[in-house]
Amino acid sequence: MTDSTRVEHGYSCKEVVELATEYLEGAMSSEQMTRFELHLNLCDGCFGFLEQVRTTAAMAGALSEEQLPGEMKTTLLAAFREWKRE
Amino acid sequence: MVGSAAGAEVTSDDAALVGRLRSGDEDAFDEVVAGMYPAMIAVARGYVRTRSVAEEVVQEAWLGVLRGLERFEGRSTLRVWVLQIVANIARKRAVGESRSLPFSSFALETDEPAVEPERFRGPDDPYPGGWRSFPSNWQTQPEAQLLARETLDVVDRAIDELPETQRIVITLRDVTGCLPAEVSEALGISEGNQRVLLHRARARVRATLERHFDD
Repeated sequence: MTDSTRVEHGYSCKEVVELATEYLEGAMSSEQMTRFELHLNLCDGCFGFLEQVRTTAAMAGALSEEQLPGEMKTTLLAAFREWKRE
Repeated sequence: MVGSAAGAEVTSDDAALVGRLRSGDEDAFDEVVAGMYPAMIAVARGYVRTRSVAEEVVQEAWLGVLRGLERFEGRSTLRVWVLQIVANIARKRAVGESRSLPFSSFALETDEPAVEPERFRGPDDPYPGGWRSFPSNWQTQPEAQLLARETLDVVDRAIDELPETQRIVITLRDVTGCLPAEVSEALGISEGNQRVLLHRARARVRATLERHFDD
């Protein structure tokens, strides 16, 4: 695809999926973002894909985080007290 | 969580926290040890073989933090500084275990499409690179199903099965809520590479979820 057809037609769906994270991270130039959003407004497939990526990230955020083991907490607090004395 | 709202720049909260730690405030120490644990264990697990060794690394890192606390100058956030100490210790352990370091052999030249190329129309199609059929709409999934234990287990397992570098980045970013700059500084990779890894990780987890929902 030449540059002139890119400007005319914007990104293909295949390109949009690879740019999803750049977009969500706010790492695009304003020109890229305009083209990206133009595609998104016209394409249910890519709009749905982007929502899936957002949902995936949100679901990862809903996972329970690793908890500090109680034993380590005790050991570290003892180390902190010792450090304080020094 | 401690530091989760802080940017990669040092905030006054950070300075206050360091001040409390230096003065020997045990509540502050408890809070920071618990709050930073998920990110610390995620970094450690990227380098060493077993959970128990990763836990040793975290514990050793705290001893290093205490030794260095008086000299901490606040050039990075406390969290970045702590995670860098974890990564340093974990690297040494990995070398001891003769493991290759995940971010040193780190190369992004291998092409890894976010979606299988067969899902898109070919070059001779009137719509080259367009979807052959659209991804399904997850908005129609009831929220209860999205957050059901079973579905979250799918996400958890998918993250577990990721290549190390992708697993560390998605865990730090999406599971523990670290900022992009914190992750790239702590791991010593560029923000661009951090983004590529996050993209690939989310894409793999998304594909696993798609198979789960479509079954």
